[in-house]
Amino acid sequence: MMALQQRFPFPLEENSYFYSNNLKPLQPPCCIQLTTEYFHEVAEKRRLLANHPERCFHALPGTLAAQWEVVDEIVHQLVDTYPDCFTLENRGDEWTFRNLLLNETEQFTFGDSSTLPVQPLDWIGRHVQEDLLLMVQRDDDLHLEAGQLCFPSAWSLTFDLGMAFHEIHRPVPWNHELAEKIRRFLLRVEAGKPWTRVNWAMHVGRRLDLSPEAFHEWGPARYQVSSENVADEVQFRVEEQCVLRLPGSNALLFSIHTYLKSVGELSQNPDWAQKLHSVLVTLPEQVAAYKGLTAYRAQVIEYLERCQ
Amino acid sequence: MRHDAILTVRVAQIHQETPVVKRFTLVPVGTDRLPPFSAGAHITTYAAFDGRVLERNYSLCNHPGTRNVYEIAIRRSDNGQGGSAGWHHHIRVGDTVHISPPKNHFPLSQRARHHVFLAAGIGITPFLSMMAELRARNGLFELHYAAPSRSYCAFREVIETSYPESRFYFSEEGMRLSPNVLCGAKVGTHVYICGPSSFIEAFSQQAEAMGFPKSNIHAERFTAPTPENPRPFRVTLRKSGRDVEVAAHETLLAALLRAGVRVRYACRAGGCGTCELGVVEGEVEHRDVYLTDEEKAANTSIIACVSRAAGDRLVLDL
Repeated sequence: MMALQQRFPFPLEENSYFYSNNLKPLQPPCCIQLTTEYFHEVAEKRRLLANHPERCFHALPGTLAAQWEVVDEIVHQLVDTYPDCFTLENRGDEWTFRNLLLNETEQFTFGDSSTLPVQPLDWIGRHVQEDLLLMVQRDDDLHLEAGQLCFPSAWSLTFDLGMAFHEIHRPVPWNHELAEKIRRFLLRVEAGKPWTRVNWAMHVGRRLDLSPEAFHEWGPARYQVSSENVADEVQFRVEEQCVLRLPGSNALLFSIHTYLKSVGELSQNPDWAQKLHSVLVTLPEQVAAYKGLTAYRAQVIEYLERCQ
Repeated sequence: MRHDAILTVRVAQIHQETPVVKRFTLVPVGTDRLPPFSAGAHITTYAAFDGRVLERNYSLCNHPGTRNVYEIAIRRSDNGQGGSAGWHHHIRVGDTVHISPPKNHFPLSQRARHHVFLAAGIGITPFLSMMAELRARNGLFELHYAAPSRSYCAFREVIETSYPESRFYFSEEGMRLSPNVLCGAKVGTHVYICGPSSFIEAFSQQAEAMGFPKSNIHAERFTAPTPENPRPFRVTLRKSGRDVEVAAHETLLAALLRAGVRVRYACRAGGCGTCELGVVEGEVEHRDVYLTDEEKAANTSIIACVSRAAGDRLVLDL
């Protein structure tokens, strides 16, 4: 398929750690990326949704209209950006959506949730690689009220559901003042002006799902890194996040696309390896702890030095 | 730089509401979709009159449930900058106009148990979508609407029909809207104020004095439109003593980078705050969405990628 791309948005731009929110206007204004991992990741999402519905999808009552707005937005992004992969025919509110990649057709009445097999946000999320989160703006604050989250980076939708922005983002390795600025910025995000940023972390073991609920499956591996397995086991994880305003509900949609490369794969690119090395050497201890890499930072640094 | 999403719409109808207020019905061009909007939302219009594009904010005054149609009501102001007069004198049915997607700086509170709307003149417009929304979900509200006279009271008939409990105050008949209407308000009441800035100031102060929490007082304040003609200015870098000239067509950030000054930046759209610089002297014309209103008023920093000097010169802490 033409639209599937090799993509890895390497986020480090400088040769030392410097915190910035590296926010940029999202251009073109499409928050969905179709990558060569599409089939694998969509299947993995659906497997997690089937096996762990209690942690992968939640929606508070009152979010249905906003969820439909997400369907409207994402379906149009898909058919406009990837017309050879997705099509939409609609007669008024009678929609026929086709996913040509998966050879699936869904017919439904837009706005009528009884015509979809699952809730609208859950449904559209099963056609894309991104996790999708809905923050509702109420009385000058943002609340996480619905989401489909299959590939969390060590946070729980079940735990955070209903929380306000500061409640979700506490504690952070940056000061409260900066968190407040980000919150105020988000309150002012306007329709038609979406934003994007990348975030990175490291973990051990090739898996996208780092749910706290499954910590016993992935957490202990961080203590088992050796010079023999560091190249394959330690993962450099990039989250490409987009935020856009849904003008009908005045809610914000967050999309998170997660990319993995093992340290071994990453070091195929000498420039990336060198930047990661410089950043790991200068990373303040508390940030290293926040990113979960205290236990094996030394092994990664040593490996990257061996590669140079 | 960001290329803002701009929608193209066609003027489908023009309705004379009062001798000085016209209502314009806007429909999409080249597509059948317009983004949905929420109660209290507005759009920015970019209409060209005599070759000048004027940026103006107008509340959407139709029901938020109506899809793919926007309505705005504009009061003609003959001593303004020409935006409203342009709409009144030059815009005809069939014309196309560029607009922004809907924005909402004046949403309904989701916590309120009762909503009180105080409107003066054309300040009625955002309340039309808010009352329609509240009516649709059985919310409790009351409207107090001050206008010069019956015939100069836009939307009077539709309000009398749909919301007969509304109160009107016609100054030519000696009636006056006073803050006393807020007396005896129950806990959980939110008050919304829209009209001339003197009206907003007076009623918000009164509401606060009467014990309304600040979070229960809402006023519509449109952000200042982008100034139409950016002017050149000079910045002095305090630490190095250097001067850098910023031309009309370039940003402060671009001028600094051109001069070899190292400034960190990221979004170049006034959103991320990375290029925030300290200001020692000179007044800033803030155009970013990063600093808070208080920080903007303090005038101690500038977001270099979008903001400029209000005057001829700024001294930066660089």
